Amino acid sequence: MTCDCSRRQMVRSLFTGSMLFPAVLQQMFAETGDSLAPRAPQFPAKAKRVIFMYMPGGVSHVDSFDYKPKLIAAAEAGQTAKNGRLYVRPHWDFKPRGKSGIMVSELFPHVGDSIDGICLIRSMHGDHNDHFQATLGIHTGSVTVARPSLGSWVSYGLGTENQNLPSFVVLAPKLPYAGAQAWSSNFLPGCHSGTRVTAGPDPIPDLTRRAPTQEIEDLELGLLARLNRKHQTSRPEDPALAARIKTFETAYGMQMQMPEVLDLSKETDATLQLYGLERGSTKGFAWQCIVARRLAERGVRFIELIDQGSSDNWDAHTDIRSHEPLARNIDQPIAALLKDLKSRGLLEDTLVVWTTEFGRTPTADSPNGRSHHNVAYSSWMAGGGVKPGIAWGETDDFGAKIAENGVHVHDFHATILKLLGFDHTRLTFRYAGRDSGSRMWREMWWKGFWFRKW
Amino acid sequence: MRTLFALGLIVFSGSATAGDLSGADLFEKKIRPVLVQICYPCHSGKTPAAGLHLDSPQATHGVVESGALLSAIHREGKIKMPPAGPLPDDQIADFEAWIKLGAPDARTETSAAPPYDFDQARKFWSFQPIRDPAPPRISDPAWNKTAIDRFVKAKLDEKHLVPLGAASKRALIRRATFDLTGLPPTPEEVAAFLADPSASAFDKVIDRLLASQQYGERWGRHWLDLVRYADTSGCNADFPVPDAYRYRNWVIRAFNDDKPYDQFLREQLAGDLLPAKDDEDRHAKTIATGYLAISRRFGSGASEFNLTIDDTIDNVGKAMLGLSVSCARCHDHKFDPIPSHDYYAWYGIFASTKYAFPGTELYPHAADFVSLGSPHQAERLKAYQDESSALDHRIAAFNDGREGKDLSKEDRDKEIRRMKERLIVLEHDAPASPKAYAVSDGASANAKIQIKGDPSHPGDEAPRGFLTVLGGQVLPGNEKGSGRRELAEWIISSPLAARVMVNRIWQGHFGKGIVGTPNDFGARGDRPVDPELLDWLASRFRESGYSIKAMHRLIMETRAYQMASGADQADLRIDPKNDFSWRFDRRRLDAEEIRDAMLDVAGDLDFSMGGPHPFPPETSFHYTQHVQFFAVYDTRRRSVYLMQQRLKRHPFLDTFDGADPNATTPARAPQETSLQALTMLNGAFVDEQADLLAVRVGMAQSTDVARIGYAYRLVFGRAPSADELRQCEQYLLKAGAAFKKSGLPADRQPRAVLASLMHVLLASDEFIFVD
Repeated sequence: MTCDCSRRQMVRSLFTGSMLFPAVLQQMFAETGDSLAPRAPQFPAKAKRVIFMYMPGGVSHVDSFDYKPKLIAAAEAGQTAKNGRLYVRPHWDFKPRGKSGIMVSELFPHVGDSIDGICLIRSMHGDHNDHFQATLGIHTGSVTVARPSLGSWVSYGLGTENQNLPSFVVLAPKLPYAGAQAWSSNFLPGCHSGTRVTAGPDPIPDLTRRAPTQEIEDLELGLLARLNRKHQTSRPEDPALAARIKTFETAYGMQMQMPEVLDLSKETDATLQLYGLERGSTKGFAWQCIVARRLAERGVRFIELIDQGSSDNWDAHTDIRSHEPLARNIDQPIAALLKDLKSRGLLEDTLVVWTTEFGRTPTADSPNGRSHHNVAYSSWMAGGGVKPGIAWGETDDFGAKIAENGVHVHDFHATILKLLGFDHTRLTFRYAGRDSGSRMWREMWWKGFWFRKW
Repeated sequence: MRTLFALGLIVFSGSATAGDLSGADLFEKKIRPVLVQICYPCHSGKTPAAGLHLDSPQATHGVVESGALLSAIHREGKIKMPPAGPLPDDQIADFEAWIKLGAPDARTETSAAPPYDFDQARKFWSFQPIRDPAPPRISDPAWNKTAIDRFVKAKLDEKHLVPLGAASKRALIRRATFDLTGLPPTPEEVAAFLADPSASAFDKVIDRLLASQQYGERWGRHWLDLVRYADTSGCNADFPVPDAYRYRNWVIRAFNDDKPYDQFLREQLAGDLLPAKDDEDRHAKTIATGYLAISRRFGSGASEFNLTIDDTIDNVGKAMLGLSVSCARCHDHKFDPIPSHDYYAWYGIFASTKYAFPGTELYPHAADFVSLGSPHQAERLKAYQDESSALDHRIAAFNDGREGKDLSKEDRDKEIRRMKERLIVLEHDAPASPKAYAVSDGASANAKIQIKGDPSHPGDEAPRGFLTVLGGQVLPGNEKGSGRRELAEWIISSPLAARVMVNRIWQGHFGKGIVGTPNDFGARGDRPVDPELLDWLASRFRESGYSIKAMHRLIMETRAYQMASGADQADLRIDPKNDFSWRFDRRRLDAEEIRDAMLDVAGDLDFSMGGPHPFPPETSFHYTQHVQFFAVYDTRRRSVYLMQQRLKRHPFLDTFDGADPNATTPARAPQETSLQALTMLNGAFVDEQADLLAVRVGMAQSTDVARIGYAYRLVFGRAPSADELRQCEQYLLKAGAAFKKSGLPADRQPRAVLASLMHVLLASDEFIFVD
C-alpha cells in the first residue's frame, strides 16, 4: 500500500468535480490513494474505531485485576521471594464481580460493576522494564528506536470518517514518557500522527481564530482563495496546489467543529452525573472520557486517553496507596463511558482498550511500594467484537510470571488490528526501500505465529 | 488460533487445505513458510540451536526420518517445538500430510552455505566501478550546449517526451536563490538580473549565491538532515548537548569553504586522527567527528551503547554509501550482499572508538568530551569529567546494591552523602574551558558477531574491515587504532561514495534524484533513470577534486535546470511523475525556507551565524525520564540555528514536515495538511511577521498603491498586475470597514488593516511554492 497525503484532498476535489484533470492524473491519484479517506479494511471488521486508554507509570496488576490469595498469605506470613524481597500484601480486597464472577479489587469498584462487558487479559507481558522504552513499546511495538504508533497505523489503514477532525486524537493533559513520540506517525505520512487535544482556549495549536472578528477572517480567506485560484489557473494540473487550497477549507472546518466537540453544554445532567463530571469542568478523566465519546460519535478513528504525565502517576515505588486517588479519577468515568457507548449503540463497533506500560512486582521496592514488572501484568478490552465477561491468561500464584496463555504486547497490537479487519503482517508501508510493517508486526511473525492465520 | 478463539473474536477461514495440494506445492505453500518463519530464527545460520540446521534439506530430512520433528511439534517428548507455544492445528496437520507424502523438499543444499556469491553480487550496477561515458549526440542545438543536457534530451527523445521551454528570468532567479540559499531574492537582486542582458548574467547570479554565507546554511542543512542532527542526545531524559552546535557550524562552514567531499567525509569519520597544521585546524578536525558523537543515545544509564553503535552504522551506511548496512545487525542482509559478519567488521571499529558521553538520568555528568583549550585546560577538563563521572557510577552502584554491601546502612548512607558532597564541590569549580562533542580512539579490539543482534549472545569474531562486496579490506593485524581512518579511505574509494553524493546534489536542484531512493543504492532501491548520466556526473565530481560548488555550476547552467515548470498533456500521459525531466518540478518550500523567507521579507531576519543555545548551566542537568528536558528557544536567526531536540521536534518545523532528528532524512516529504493551514491562519509567528512586513511596507511607502507594489516585490519578486492592485486596494477598503467594527482602537487600525493584507500574501501559494 502506498500513501501520499499531498494528494488526498486533490482526489476529493476530483470527485466533487471542482477541477478538471487529465485522465492520466486521475488514474495516478486513484492508484496512490487518498490516505485519510475512509477505507475498507482487508477483511470484515468487528470494530470501526478505538478508544485506547493508557495509564502511565505501571498499574499494579496484583492490586487490581489479578487476584492472588497465595500472595496475600505469603505477605501476611512475612515471606520473601527468591530475590530476597518481602512480598507485599495487595492493599485492596478482591470480590467476585458480575455474573462472570471475575475477581476485581475495590480499587476499581465501578469497572468491577462493568466486568461482564470486559474481556480481561491477565497475562500481558512486554520487552522492557523501564518507563520510557516500555511506553514506546505499548504504543509502537518497539522498545528501542521509535516506530509509528498504533493509532497511526490504524489511521493509515482505515482513514477517517470526518475530514473536519483529525483521524487520531490524543487527549492527554500532560505529556507521558517519551512525549509525543508515543503518538508519532514516524515513517508513515505526517497526517497520521496523533493530534493532541487539550482542554482550554486552544485545544489544538493555532486552532483559535486570530483575526479579531469572523468577518475579518472571512475576508482574509476570501482573498486568499482568489489569489490562490488565480495562481493555480496559470499552473494547471498540480495536485499540491489544489491540495493546499483544500487544506484551508478543512482548517476552517476544524476551527468550527472542534469547539463544538468540546462544548459539553448540551450534554444532559444525567450524562454528566454518570461520568461524575461537574458541569463546566474540564478536569480529570471524566472530561476526557466524555470528549472521547463525542469524538467517537463524530467519526474519529483512534482516540487515545492518557490520564497522567511522566511524573505523579502510577509509578508506586514508595507507596502503593498512591494508586487510590489515581483510580478514583478514572474508575467511574471508564464505567460510564462503557455504559454510555452501549446505550448509544456505539459499543458494538467501538473497541475500548485499557492498558499500561507494565505491572508492578508482587514484592517490595520500599516497605509499601512495588517496582516495575514487565513480565506479567493486566490489561483489558471491551466492545468492538471482543468476548465479554471472560478473563484470558493466568499468572503464577504470586502474579510474578505468566502461567498460561501469555499475551505479548505484539499479540495485543495484532489482536486490536485484527478486530479492525487487518492482518498485521500485511499492513505495511514502503519505507527505506522495503515494505515496513512496524517492528511489532515483524516480531509477531516469530513469536505469535498462530495469530496470523485465524 | 487458540488464543483468538478463546478471546472469542472472529473466525476467519483459511485458504486451501493440505489435502488439495501436491507434495511439492504443499512444501512451498505450507511447510517452507513455517520453517522460514518459525524454525530458521534459531535453527539456521552459523550456530544453529542444538546444532540443527533446518535450513538444510539433509538435516531436515534427518529429523523427519527419526520422528523427532513430529514428536517436537506434537509436544510429546522432552523437546517441545516451537518453544513459544504449539503450532496451530492446521499447520500440524500440514506437516503430517507432508511427511506422509515423503517429505519432498525443494530446497537445495547450498541454502546453508555462505549466503552470497560475491562475484555475482559485484555485477550489480551500483557496485560497479564508475565509468566515464561520452554524452550522446543530439540534433537539437538548444540542447547541445552542455553534456548534461545531451544526456537528458537523449532520454526525452527515446521516450517521445517534448521538453517545455525556458523559465522566465524572474522565475529562474527565484528558483536559483531558494535552491542555493533557502531565501527569496531581494527586489534589487531581481531587478539587477532582469537588467543584465549579458550571456553570463545567470552565471553571475550563481557565483554570488555560492559565495554567500546563506549557501552553507541551506546546503549544510541538507547534510544535517542526513546525519539526523540534534542538539539533545535522545536518551530517556533527552539530555541537552550544549557543544553539539560546533559540529553544526562546522558543516555549514565546510559547504561555504567548498571543502572537497572526500575530505569532508574523512574528517567526520576520523578528523581526530588526521595530521593538523595548527591548533585551530586540529580543533576543527576534532569537531568534525561530532558526526559520530551525535549518534542517538538510549536508555537511562549507559548500558545500551550497542544501539548507539548500530545508529552510527546505520547512518554511515545510508548517508555515505547509500546502503542499509544496519539491516545486517541481526541476520545476513536479505536483499543486499551484506553478511552479518560485515556489519560486525564495522561494529568493532566504532566499539574501539570513545564517544563523548552527554550524561543520562543515572549518570548525569558528561564524560570523554574533547578539550579545545590549552594543555592545562585539557588536563583540568579531563580530571573533572573523570572524577564526576566515576562518582556518578559509584553512587549508582551503591544505590542498586552492587557496591557497599559489606557496609552498615549508616555507613553506606554516609558514603553516598560524602560522594554527593564531593560532586557539589567539583561542580562549583567546574572548568569552563571549550570542549567538543566528539570522539577519540579507545581501546581497540575486534567485535564478536552478536547472534540475532543480542550483545549477550556473542558468536565468531569479525575482524575490523570493510564490506566484502566493496573490496573486503581488513585492518592489518598490528593496527593499534580503531580503524576509522582506514574506514574513511575505503568508503571514499568505493564507487558508491561519489555516486551517492552527486545524486544528492542533483536531488537538491531537481527535487528528486537520478536514483529515486537516495539512501538506498541496493537491490531494493530504485535503479537510476539514467545510469550513464549518473556516472558522468560522478566522474566530473572526482575530476573536480570533489568540489560540490563545481557540481552546482555544472547542473545549474543546463537547459534542463532552466526549464519552465508548467504542464504538458502528452508528456503527462507518458511520464506523469516527470522522471525524465521534461519540465522543472514546482516545489513547496520546506519548513526552514517558509520560516526564513517570512523573517526575510518582513525585514526581521538576523543573518548572523548562530552560536550555542541558551541552555541552563551543565552542572544543573538532572533530567530524568519523568522530568525530561524540554525547551523551545526563540531566535530571529535562520532556522538551521534553531535548537532541535531529538525527542520533541520544534513545533514549527514539525508542522511543516521538517527533518526527523532521530533517523536520517534523505528527502523531505512535503504534505499539505490542515494543521499547516491553521498555523498559517492563526499562528503567532506568521502573525508577527505579517505585522512586521506591514510596518516595513508602511514606513517605506506612503500610498496604498505604492505599499501594495512594494509588498508584491518583496514577497513575490514581481510587481502586481493592474487587476491585483485593484483587488488589494479594494481589500484594504473592505478590511478597513471591518476593522472599524472590530473594537480595535482607531489608532491601531491602519497597521492592522495592512497587516491583514500582508498575512494573506504570506499565506498564499505564490509565496509558498517555487516555480
